Parts: sequence; structure tokens; C-alpha cells
Amino acid sequence: MSDAVIVVALLLVAACATAAVAQRDPARQALVLSVLGLFLAVLFTVLQAPDVGLSQLAVGSALTPLLIMLSVRRTRRRGRTKEGPE
Amino acid sequence: MTRHTAPRTVLLAAGELLAWWAGLAMLWLVLITTVDTLERIVGASCAAVGALLARAGRRAVTWR
Amino acid sequence: MNGWILAATVELAGGGAAALWGVTTGPTGRRVIAQNLATSALCPALLLLSQGYGRPSYVDLALLLALLGPVGTLVFARLLAAELERERPSAWALTWAAAGLGAVVVAAVCAATAPGRATVKLLVVGALLIGGNVIASRALSGGFQGVRGG
Repeated sequence: MSDAVIVVALLLVAACATAAVAQRDPARQALVLSVLGLFLAVLFTVLQAPDVGLSQLAVGSALTPLLIMLSVRRTRRRGRTKEGPE
Repeated sequence: MTRHTAPRTVLLAAGELLAWWAGLAMLWLVLITTVDTLERIVGASCAAVGALLARAGRRAVTWR
Repeated sequence: MNGWILAATVELAGGGAAALWGVTTGPTGRRVIAQNLATSALCPALLLLSQGYGRPSYVDLALLLALLGPVGTLVFARLLAAELERERPSAWALTWAAAGLGAVVVAAVCAATAPGRATVKLLVVGALLIGGNVIASRALSGGFQGVRGG
């Protein structure tokens, strides 16, 4: 019965990861990815690995979205100045 | 640049630094697990550095 | 399984499913709001889990989430500024409901722990959570027009 929370966290992670793969737009993918980072941190916590969860939170909640969004912006700007992506 | 800063400015700056230091040191003491002398010393020094940074940041964002 | 973990499971299932649904469907503005509210749904769940497992050090996860979640939302608010400018997304009822949920959970966990430094730490987490979420929501709905620079 105590495994219910682990099952819920696993289901959320699986659904969120599938949704992240299924998105088309990279910006929206970054949004789903940041939520996936939160779910993964909760999963690590219920599996009694809070140290892994801490590093996952630190990287996944702010750093990964920042990197992805910065690269998305850079590529879009370059595509605009070159009159269409190559 | 005048050679002597107004004492009021010095007093204000010292007060602000002291307020930042007190707040940060309290935060440190709240967040640690066990309170002992070493933690107090490390916390006080980290809070001092943090107070300097916080004042610099506060001055950087208030441009008016 | 004690009541705390049961409450955390319910909160995790409900809030997590709602956040997942919100973040995968609809226009971009709605997705950013769902991403913001995911923080305020999962942070109380982490607090409840820490109380349920009887490990006060697990509160650190909730503290870090309450600190970094709004930072992540502000990243999106800054870098998706062009799209959010058009939509001006806001969901104040949901935001305040999530803030109330966080306050209730923090109060419950505070009542269960012995008064002392742990209580103050929980209150710091609660203040960071609610304040960060309100600030992030306000930034998403275009409340900080004056500080948009760079």
C-alpha cells in the first residue's frame, strides 16, 4: 500500500516524458521538460534518494530550460537574418 | 569627489549592511542542522560577504 | 502508509495530472501558467512526504524547489516575452488557490513538528513558495512592464 506514491510518481514521469517527446515546438518542449524535471525530483524523493533529487531540482527546474530557450532564441534570430533557415 | 563623505551617508550604508548581515545570519542559523561555534563563525563570515553582495546588487537595480 | 503520505499521494496525483494536462495542451500562455503552478502543487507534496517519512532533512528539497521554481518561470517569462505580450496570460483564482493550498500544508506540517528552528524553516519555505508564485504570476500577466530591459 505504501508503494502507491511510487506508482503515482512513476506514472507521472512516464506520461510527462512521452508528452515531452511528442511536442513539436522546441519552446513548448522546454516547458514540458521543466515539469518533467520536477516529477523526476519527486520520484527520486519517494525512492529515498533525496540527494539525487536535489541535484535534479537544481539542474532541471531553472538551468535546462534556460539553456534550451537561449539556444532556441539564438537559432530563430539567425534564421530570421538569413531569410529562412538552412 | 569630495575627500570626506557625509557622515549621514556612511551611517546609512553601515545600517543597511548591518541589516543585511543580521537577516542573512539569522537565515543561516535557521537552515543548518546543528548549531555550534564553528557554524556560528562560518555563518557570520558568509553573512558578511552576502551583505556586501546584497548591497551592491540593491544599488545596481535601483537606478532612480 | 500513514496519513501524511496518503495526502502527499493525493496531492501529487491531482496536482501533477492537472499540471501535466495544462502544460501539454492549449496556447503557450496557458502552458507557462501550468508550469508555474506545477511548482506550487509539488512543493507542498514534498513537505508532506518529508513529514510522512519522518525525515526533516527532506524539507531541503521543498526549500530548493520553492526558491528555483519561480526562477525557472521567470526565465520563460523573459525569453517568451514576445508571445506573452500578446496573450497576457493570468489565472489569479488558480494562483491564489495554489497559494492557499501551500499555506494550509505548511500550517499543518508546522503544527505537527515541535516548535523551534524547524518551524521557522518551514515558514521560510512557505513564504518563499507563496511569494515566488505570486511574483511569477504577476510577471507572466505583464505586471512588471517597467523592468523589462536588455
